[in-house]
Amino acid sequence: MLTSEKLAVRIVICLAVLCVVMCLCAMVGPQKVSLRKVFAGPGEEPGGNIDYEIFVGVRLPRVILAALVGAALACSGVVLQAILRNPLADPYILGISSGAGLGVIIAVLSGATWAFWGGSPIAVFAFAGALGTVWLVWCIGHFTGKSQVTSLLLAGVVINAFFSAVIMFLTSIAKSEQVHSTIFWLMGNITEKSLSVLGVSAACIFAGIIALFCISHRLNVLTFGEEEAKALGVDTARTRVIAFGFAAFITAIAVSLSGLVGFVGLIIPHGVRLVFGPDHRQLLPVSGIIGSVFLVAADTLARTIVAPAQLPVGIITAIAGGPFFLVLLAKYSRKVSWLK
Amino acid sequence: MSGIIKVENLSFAYRSQGTIVKDISFEVMQGTFLTIAGPNGAGKTTLLNLLCGLLSAQAGSIKIDAAHIESYSVKELAQKLAVVRQEFVPVFDFTVAQVVSMARTPYLGTFGFESQADMKFINEALEMTDTKQFSSRPLAELSGGERQRVFIARALAQNTPILLLDEPTSFLDLKHQVGIYDLLKTMQLEKGKTIVAVTHDINLAAQYADVTLLLGADTSYQYGRAQDVFSPEQIERVFGVRAFTGKIGEEKFFIPLGKFAKDRSRIGRKVDSS
Repeated sequence: MLTSEKLAVRIVICLAVLCVVMCLCAMVGPQKVSLRKVFAGPGEEPGGNIDYEIFVGVRLPRVILAALVGAALACSGVVLQAILRNPLADPYILGISSGAGLGVIIAVLSGATWAFWGGSPIAVFAFAGALGTVWLVWCIGHFTGKSQVTSLLLAGVVINAFFSAVIMFLTSIAKSEQVHSTIFWLMGNITEKSLSVLGVSAACIFAGIIALFCISHRLNVLTFGEEEAKALGVDTARTRVIAFGFAAFITAIAVSLSGLVGFVGLIIPHGVRLVFGPDHRQLLPVSGIIGSVFLVAADTLARTIVAPAQLPVGIITAIAGGPFFLVLLAKYSRKVSWLK
Repeated sequence: MSGIIKVENLSFAYRSQGTIVKDISFEVMQGTFLTIAGPNGAGKTTLLNLLCGLLSAQAGSIKIDAAHIESYSVKELAQKLAVVRQEFVPVFDFTVAQVVSMARTPYLGTFGFESQADMKFINEALEMTDTKQFSSRPLAELSGGERQRVFIARALAQNTPILLLDEPTSFLDLKHQVGIYDLLKTMQLEKGKTIVAVTHDINLAAQYADVTLLLGADTSYQYGRAQDVFSPEQIERVFGVRAFTGKIGEEKFFIPLGKFAKDRSRIGRKVDSS
């Protein structure tokens, strides 16, 4: 049985692994960085310690950004799989990707150049598009069907198809230089962000994950269905609104930061569930941390594998994620019980 | 003394099906074993869903522990009554211990971890239902009978005065049917639980229940001592099947007789085998 002490120990171990991976990945790149020099601190003059400047000023913010996006997408995947009672659900099945993509196309085509809290118009439009789509899917799903779970899935699939068609239409009439940046973004692309953007995003994502953790024991019961959950004292409508709302919120932040990074929200919850079991009180935080580890490692590959050029991280997550997941599925399915 | 469940002039209709439950009144005293029997479509499960607050009555009232059912929040109601539905397999691979521990959900704090007191209820329920031996196994790997015992363990760990069960022995073989009813009766006698079980098996109902609510397909109903409610005439009227009725000591038993029954001459005759 899972106790709070047992969970705390596992979270601390996972966080330690994350810290090590983040440090190692921040050292990797075309310019070699010595950790000893980094710990020596900044030089007396600006630019006096190049290793420190690269590590702290360039690579660490990017690594932190990847960790934030990975955590948000993985946690969102855990929650959506629980409330939709569908192990194949991920943050994009509800049309979040196409909604954000449509926002980006509109931002690019309209030539917006302003900034909001340090965020580019592309990020702001992506955020608005993702959140707006989730709201639309929720409204359609809520008012159309007896079984809200099925209605939500169907509404998401329909909205996804419709927005994808609009994206293709707008892309086909856009100028070529506009199309290039949009396509790069649609493939998932982590780039350096300002500290203010990172700070605000981190605060929002942490707040969202903590809110979701507070309802994680109710998510366990919700996976048994509406009737069972009510019989066990769960206000299903309220729990679903909270879960859906915060999952959409942290996904929208992740999408606005990095574009459409696929696979993380699907495979990380699955992988963690196979090893640690389906208890959401453990699944949610551990998936968040493992999602961070995975995306930090994937982004490091993306920026080093064809250096000095950089690949969109979405390509790495898709190429590495699929086989990794299959190995995990074959090795752990119904075999590991000591961590559950 | 007021009953723990009091139903007065209860009516309910589905939009597509018309009236299912019509003007039903009955009262169940604490520590009673009630079975709800009747043919398919008579409204047994609908009545159970009304009793557990999943459906709202269109007329009449339901009182649980002297208070209107609507006055309870979902959480409060889950501390008054536990529900065991027909056997199913969950989407994710929860273990038996995890499933039973979910019973404590209505009592958990903000972060949702079980206290020592919660663990005591969980362990007691596992032991009483003889499910502790496979508590670390995934629910999906168990047989139908074992799974049903796990769901009853969960209901027991919920520590409510009332247990509602929807056909708890459907899909189970004879041994497991009797095992489940023995377990329910033990919980009634040892823990003072009020048991309300929907069933198709009138023999088990007659043997284990103190009172029975027999629902007819025409929205008629009869409520009373199980031994009184079940008679060859009532069974023929409600189910449309003639039955051979016997008695072993104080226990009545029924054998339904179809048109290919070997000894048609005995149809409807009562035999005392004591």
